[in-house]
Amino acid sequence: MIEGRQVRVGIVGVVIVALFCALFVRLWFLQVGSGNQVAAAVQTNSVRTVRIPAPRGEVVDVHGNVIVDNAVKTAITVRRNLDGKQRVDVLNRLSVVLGQPIPLLQKALDDPRVSPYSPVPVATDVPFDQLAYVKEHQADFPGVDAVALTVRRYHTWGNPSMPLAPQLIGYVGEINGNELKARKGQGYELGDTIGKSGIELSMESELRGTPGYDKLEVDNRGRVQRVVEHKDPIPGNNVYLTLDANLQGTAQAALGQAMQQDRALQDPTFKDRFVTFKAPGAAFVLLDARDGSIKAMASQPDFDPNIFVQKNGIDTPTWRWLNDPANFQPLTNRAVQGLYAPGSTFKPVTATAMLQSGFRTPQTPYNDTGSFKCCLNQPPFLNDHGTAYGTVNLPRALTVSSDAYFYTVGYQFWQWFHIGDPRGHMLQDVAKSYGFGSPTGINLADEARGRVPDSAWKIAFNVNTADPVQKAQNSVWNPGDDILMAVGQGDLLVSPLQLASAYQTLFNNGTRFVPRLVDHVTDYRGNVLRQIAPVRKDPIALPAGAHDAIVQGLMGVASDPKGTAYSAFQGFPLPLVPVAGKTGTAQVRGKSATSIFVAVTKPDAPDLVAASFVEEAGYGAAVSAPIVRHVLDAAYGLPSSPQVQINGAANTSQGN
Amino acid sequence: MSTIARSRPASVVLSDRKARLLATPFRHVDVLLIGSTIAVAMLSLLMIYSSTQPKLAAQHIDQLYFVKRQAVAILVGITLMFGVMAIDYRKLRDLGVLFYVATVLGLLAVLSPLGHATKGAQARFPLPGGFELQPSEFAKFALIIALAAYLQQHRGELDAWRVAVAVTLGIVPIGLVLLQPDLGTDLVLVVILLGLLTVAGVKVRHLLVLLLLAVTACGAVVQLGVLKRYQIDRLTSFLHQGQNVKGATYNVHQSKIAIGNGHLTGKGFHRGTQTRLGFVPEQHTDFIFTVVGEELGFAGGATLLALFALIVWRTWRTAMLAGDFFGTLICIGVTALLTFQIFENVGMTMGIMPVTGIPLPFMSYGGSAVMAYFLCIGLVAGVHMRRFT
Repeated sequence: MIEGRQVRVGIVGVVIVALFCALFVRLWFLQVGSGNQVAAAVQTNSVRTVRIPAPRGEVVDVHGNVIVDNAVKTAITVRRNLDGKQRVDVLNRLSVVLGQPIPLLQKALDDPRVSPYSPVPVATDVPFDQLAYVKEHQADFPGVDAVALTVRRYHTWGNPSMPLAPQLIGYVGEINGNELKARKGQGYELGDTIGKSGIELSMESELRGTPGYDKLEVDNRGRVQRVVEHKDPIPGNNVYLTLDANLQGTAQAALGQAMQQDRALQDPTFKDRFVTFKAPGAAFVLLDARDGSIKAMASQPDFDPNIFVQKNGIDTPTWRWLNDPANFQPLTNRAVQGLYAPGSTFKPVTATAMLQSGFRTPQTPYNDTGSFKCCLNQPPFLNDHGTAYGTVNLPRALTVSSDAYFYTVGYQFWQWFHIGDPRGHMLQDVAKSYGFGSPTGINLADEARGRVPDSAWKIAFNVNTADPVQKAQNSVWNPGDDILMAVGQGDLLVSPLQLASAYQTLFNNGTRFVPRLVDHVTDYRGNVLRQIAPVRKDPIALPAGAHDAIVQGLMGVASDPKGTAYSAFQGFPLPLVPVAGKTGTAQVRGKSATSIFVAVTKPDAPDLVAASFVEEAGYGAAVSAPIVRHVLDAAYGLPSSPQVQINGAANTSQGN
Repeated sequence: MSTIARSRPASVVLSDRKARLLATPFRHVDVLLIGSTIAVAMLSLLMIYSSTQPKLAAQHIDQLYFVKRQAVAILVGITLMFGVMAIDYRKLRDLGVLFYVATVLGLLAVLSPLGHATKGAQARFPLPGGFELQPSEFAKFALIIALAAYLQQHRGELDAWRVAVAVTLGIVPIGLVLLQPDLGTDLVLVVILLGLLTVAGVKVRHLLVLLLLAVTACGAVVQLGVLKRYQIDRLTSFLHQGQNVKGATYNVHQSKIAIGNGHLTGKGFHRGTQTRLGFVPEQHTDFIFTVVGEELGFAGGATLLALFALIVWRTWRTAMLAGDFFGTLICIGVTALLTFQIFENVGMTMGIMPVTGIPLPFMSYGGSAVMAYFLCIGLVAGVHMRRFT
């Protein structure tokens, strides 16, 4: 039986050895065999990274006036990991002190965008007495703190005050899924603030700054034990614009006042009943003619960007209101995104093409009978009011804005097109060389291209027409297409910035610039990081004599008693500051005309280019010319009326 | 038969004292067994300190609270061990019935309102000074003695009837512990029972039938809803690790991370982040091995396992060398107890065994358990030093 005992005890021994071997092997595998995996698990287990957002850079005008900076707001924060009883007590007391309903505080506290390890702001802009109460009764408010938060602040201008260049500056908001995807790898995270439009968007990489972080060690219940690593955020860079806040404000106000005044005037287009102008929107651009710097860029109607950065972002009804077409898109920057028929302001472009084609010289006389009949089965194309201007040459035709002169030019281009002469596409080519039909390259998102129509465009445009007969008819490039384009009508579409840029090119004898918005960038301490030099584009070669003849004609617009903008520049010191300009009154089907005026000061050494567009507002001379005059008054420091004065009489007199 | 327990006059001369000592069985004491046991117990104090100090400090309680209590238990345990060694184990054979009856009464009493429920089990008696007594730990000790006595008595004549009696002796405490419920202790009792029956010479076919019955009983226990849902989840969670890290596998997940974090040499004493930050639940009790793993690394973990292997080896060796069959059975009972608890507990922390509330012998915080293990080692040492008499 001793044998039996030893065998059985021996079996137990074998089992023991096997079990211990298993433990040793497993221990080796866990601790030595699978090192990196465990290291990663340990990291994610106990170290939490909390982001510290960087203050965004400031946006400053050319004279150092701050347009956008950050305001410090007081806020009440509550720590997340309060236990149930404490949390209820604290929220109840806070609700009483702050006068806010508990569910609202509850909602703010549960905001998933805030890291669970950082305190959550539940109320901002808290009055001092409430802050003081919370601080003095700290024992009753465990986990509650009063802190300062930085919030984007968009400055206002003037009296009554208005937001300064809101569409141009843009606004910020919380990053969304698409932006996060598009900016993958740039270190953005959910909850980050990002520029949504305007300069805030296009200069995002400069303004953003570098977020800092706290690496926190937390225990198994998420309580912070210590800071493992801390990095301060680096504030964003400051962007200095070429914009002049004073001129910008003046232009914005002028647009608004002109629109308001215009809405009280009768629209003579409607002969049968009394209808006032609608004037729903307007745009204004002021360029430095020497290098393309933008001194002012206004768009009406506008909005207050501060509504985007209040406490929890913009509220839904306001956002809907801003995007409702019935409110004429206040968010749209009409100066670069608005597209309009340029009307008579396009005539210098047609003139350039005409001179290049050799159809007429600047001095070739033309007998303007008030109308032009191109084709047997069509009614004639008329001058405004059918006025006959008699014998005109090119400068005169521009000064008095003879349509017939340019109808015949357009018809000539069509004839060349019709017989296959290469000059048949010259009007379009010249228009494109001035920059129409393509973005100017300004540092803003979503710039409109505009449209320079031609035969190929017309075919492409109608490619989806279902009825084959109609499709064939619509796709034909007709005499009327060229004739209307010659006076800036038809299917031609330009943005105010494109038009101003084209005039700058013309007056600079073909030298072209990319419109420039940013002058330089500094770091947050003020050290200049980059100077943004003006960018030239390929110059265009103007035909001989074109510049002088056209400038002569456009100078007459303001100075000649028959000039279309003569009355608008009454009292302006033209000998001191000569002004060349062109009115435009662009017909829009089913609506009142767009009032347009472009002006270039000191044509001998071009100084400023101004362009004004007012939608559904009547004659260029009536509304836009006074706006430009008003802003030029401010630009040259001339005495001026506090408000722009539009000229309703110009709507009934001649001259478009 | 002399023992050191007998007090001597202080005037006894050294040579006389030495001669008397040489005459006692203590000259054959197993120093390796006693030494390694005490070494493990000392290590447990360090590890309990490491795992409990941050939490206690955070609550501004005495940072040595757990360490002090465990030290008291270890001292009492060592005293008990030497006490048991001093008594000839063969005398215990006759006291087996007494131990057994006392244990069963204790287990019954703890289920009554006298007992104290913690963590879902009615398993403790509150004692003055905040101490608690856990009769189920002493049941292991008592069952070993009672079963060894019965099986030794009927050695060579273990027919089906006597096997049934032996099994019934086991079933009674097992059933009472199951009512607490304390599944871990039950498993240990079952293993002790099976180990003793195996070595006692029970026929292989009887053993197979018993195994079959045990499996059926386990199935019945699970099916009949005796176990709570969480217990079943815990038991089966090691089969599907990686899923549901927040639920039943949370302990094991955190436990494995902590052990893995130790690598070869460990983070250093009191420097384990997972330990200090309290990621492993029940770390000073059932999951104490994770502290060793994280702070002392593979070097420390393997050393601890080696110490355990030494204890088990000396116990098993004593079973082989024992002067009588009763001694062998006692040692086999203790071997089964220690081996199973070590394997189950360490295996659980490393994710190869199900999670059950079985403490790691001499390491886990818990006074009753530590005292019971020292009692068991005392028994083995007693068998060892009396192997020639």
